[in-house]
Formats: sequence, C-alpha cells, structure tokens
Amino acid sequence: MAATFKRLGRDRVRVRLGLDEVAVLRGLPEQLRAVLTETADDPVNRRLFPPAYLEPEDAESDAEYRRLMHDELVQGKLANLEVVTDTLARGSSTVRRWTVDLTGEEATAWLGVLNDLRLALGVRLEITEDFDGQVDDADPRAPAMHLLSYLGWLEEHLLEALSSA
Amino acid sequence: MRHHWGMSTTAPVRERTEEEEQVVEPDVPWVVIVWNDPVNLMSYVVYVLQKLFGYSREKATKLMLDVHHRGKAVVSSGPREKAEFDVYRLHDAGLWATMQKDR
Repeated sequence: MAATFKRLGRDRVRVRLGLDEVAVLRGLPEQLRAVLTETADDPVNRRLFPPAYLEPEDAESDAEYRRLMHDELVQGKLANLEVVTDTLARGSSTVRRWTVDLTGEEATAWLGVLNDLRLALGVRLEITEDFDGQVDDADPRAPAMHLLSYLGWLEEHLLEALSSA
Repeated sequence: MRHHWGMSTTAPVRERTEEEEQVVEPDVPWVVIVWNDPVNLMSYVVYVLQKLFGYSREKATKLMLDVHHRGKAVVSSGPREKAEFDVYRLHDAGLWATMQKDR
C-alpha cells in the first residue's frame, strides 16, 4: 500500500492511491449512505447518533435534541459522502496510480467519512476493546478487520497532512 | 451541511416553547463529556478538540488522554444552549459526547 496525502499549500491536499485502493474506497460510500438513510434503530445508528443527555430526568430534553438535530447530523454526513464520491470520480489514473487534489474543505469531508466508516465498521464487528490495528487471520472477522485497519491507516495519514500547516 | 467545524453561524437555533420557559431551571452550568471509544483514533480526538474548541495541542492531548485512560473527560462547560451546541458539534465529528448538569 502506497497511499499518501500530501499538503500542497494552505488549501490543497494531494491524494495518491493505488488503483486497487481506489476500487475499494469507491465501494464504501454507498454502504454508509444506506446505513445513514435507514431509519432503523440499529446499533450503528445508535453509535453515529448517540444521545445528548444521559440522565433519566433529561429524557425529554434528549427527545427534543434528537427531533431538532438528527436530520442536521444526517445531512452533514450525507454531504461529506457526496464530496468523497465526487472526488473519487474526479481523480485521474495512470497505469498504477490514482491522483486527486482536494481543497481543504474536501479533505475535511474525507476525514469525516473515513471516521464514520470506521465507527460503523467497529460497531458491526462488535469491537469493544481498543483496536490497535493488529488482525488475527484466524478470526472470521479478519477481512473486515483488515479494512478497518487500512481505513485507520489512511485516516492517520490524512490527519498528519491536515496538521502539517 | 458540511463539517463547519468551529463556525457558530451554522448552529441550528433551538427554539424554546412557552411551556419550557415557564419551568424554572436553576442556573447551574452544564458540562460536556466525551466518552472513551474503542475505534476513534487518539490523533483524531486531539484534532477534533483543537478544531472545535480552539484548544492548544497540549490541552487537547491531555483531554484525549483523560478520555482514553479514565473513560471520559469534561471537554467544555457553560449554559445549557452552549453545551448542547458543543455536543452537536462533537456528534457531527463522530465523538461520543453527552451533557449533564454540573453538580
């Protein structure tokens, strides 16, 4: 894997990925979009949209928060997904490499989507202990764990690029 | 809406109903708590706390370590509306945040 995020000035981040990596990433936004637009009260939705108030005495406030804010949160995540889908379609490929230049805002959307994807995967894989990226190949969850690990690695590199002002 | 981190102009306005206003709320501050999460990257939590609250890298790192080692940390406090907006922004960023009265 030879993905890189490179900061090119104040408002530009260059993404360079292998063609196999882009192929994997292109398949993911649709899956997250499906989860976000489901109204089902499933564990992934509960993690992506946690309660704001925990105390029983604040139950009404929490219902109010959900009523007012849930759609905003969903729209924000969908907008990020759209940016990622669009920029994945916009990049240019050579024989082995795929490249796209992101604005700062687009890079922030990538960060949000990478993180949401990892949160969703983490819930699906029932990860409860701190995940250090190590995967036991005997584990039936290994392929998805490798994906989680890869997305974490990408996110870490994007964070480095975004922090290197 | 995209991730307008740190831009308060995009805050959804919480409208109070008359009924709510009649309830006398004691003037206690609220605290915003971030809970430990097995998936969020430590570097990501630091990045979000810096970006949302303008904290220094040192302060954001200390808070992240508190979350990591103690399971939770108070990351901001203030009147109810401010706390709720902070929770909203933390949820927008994918952090597991809640708020409660400080007592």
